[in-house]
Amino acid sequence: MNRGLLHLLIGLALGVAGGLTYAWAIDPVELVGSSPGALRAEDQADYLTLIASAYAATGDLPRAQARLALFSDPNAAETLGALAQARLASGRPVSEAQGLARLAADLGVRPSPLPSLATRSATGRPTTSPTVTRTPTLRPSPTVTRTPGAPFQIDRQELECSPAQTAPRIRVRVLDAAEQGVPGVEVLVLWDAGEDRFYTGLKPELGSGYGDFTMSEGITYTVRLAESGVLVTGLKVEACPGEDGGTYSGSWSLVFVQPR
Amino acid sequence: MPNLLRTFRFWIGLVLGLAGGLLYGWVLQPVDVASTAPGSLRQDYRTDYVLMVAEAYSAEGDLGLAAQRLTALGSEPPESFVDAAIGYATDQAFAAGDLELLSRLARDLLDAPADPTPASP
Repeated sequence: MNRGLLHLLIGLALGVAGGLTYAWAIDPVELVGSSPGALRAEDQADYLTLIASAYAATGDLPRAQARLALFSDPNAAETLGALAQARLASGRPVSEAQGLARLAADLGVRPSPLPSLATRSATGRPTTSPTVTRTPTLRPSPTVTRTPGAPFQIDRQELECSPAQTAPRIRVRVLDAAEQGVPGVEVLVLWDAGEDRFYTGLKPELGSGYGDFTMSEGITYTVRLAESGVLVTGLKVEACPGEDGGTYSGSWSLVFVQPR
Repeated sequence: MPNLLRTFRFWIGLVLGLAGGLLYGWVLQPVDVASTAPGSLRQDYRTDYVLMVAEAYSAEGDLGLAAQRLTALGSEPPESFVDAAIGYATDQAFAAGDLELLSRLARDLLDAPADPTPASP
């Protein structure tokens, strides 16, 4: 090879290596002026949790929707529900999961167009006018009409037989006095060798007051709402008659209602 | 003379390579641009972030948790982020209720002990 060309290539290789090292490791690009949608995944999770915590404090659904719109997630309710379960599983405070569940439920039952939080000019450049649209003092009417202090009572208990059901479950629905689902209610499941708990509203697609638990064969369960003394006992996997003459496992449906 | 020419070509290559490397590393393929930290948020988003912290604090009353949330914005003292948010919110004529929430958070952070109790995770 031409020795002159060799020197050029060596210089080029060293230059590229030096340039990349400087640009990626020594002085990487620092983004400023980014949007929440560009955050790292774990920061997005924290941001969404903060949106839910703020919503729990203010009850301002349009404002929460405007904030969620920054993430361009068409399934925000499902995302929040899944995040609530993940936060709960990772040992985060229960209040976080409850806030996420409540927001997920309220989004699920009252879908509405998502307004944009930030406005931009036609050129895509940020405008110098206020870029945050405020909803000054309007507060939506509460979506849940809970009567403070009134305990939930068991209203219905029945065995549901559905061949489509993949596993036997305890399916709990918690309703307020207006028969609206109540998210974020802690449900305790107890059996001889242990206990578990879950929260309503983590599966908003099934209703804001819905939560379920998968049963195992041969175990008898007791269910109690954390904020109610009513016990539902003797729940175990029961057989349902199948069309082919065989049997399959049914699910227990429990409906708790807050008295008027 | 040939040595001088080779050295010249080496330096030409080095400069071209350096320029190409910087162009690629800063412009064409910067480090993980799709994943930024909250500290890089635009001022209006940062203000709204601080407002959310203030809203949550108004109900939770956990100053340590509020301070912890604010530290996501950077290494400066948490009250500095609230001050900046108040300045922006005032300029942009935020609702009086929002300004009150921000002011209350700023006041409580200033009144708190120098090393507030860290919030539980």
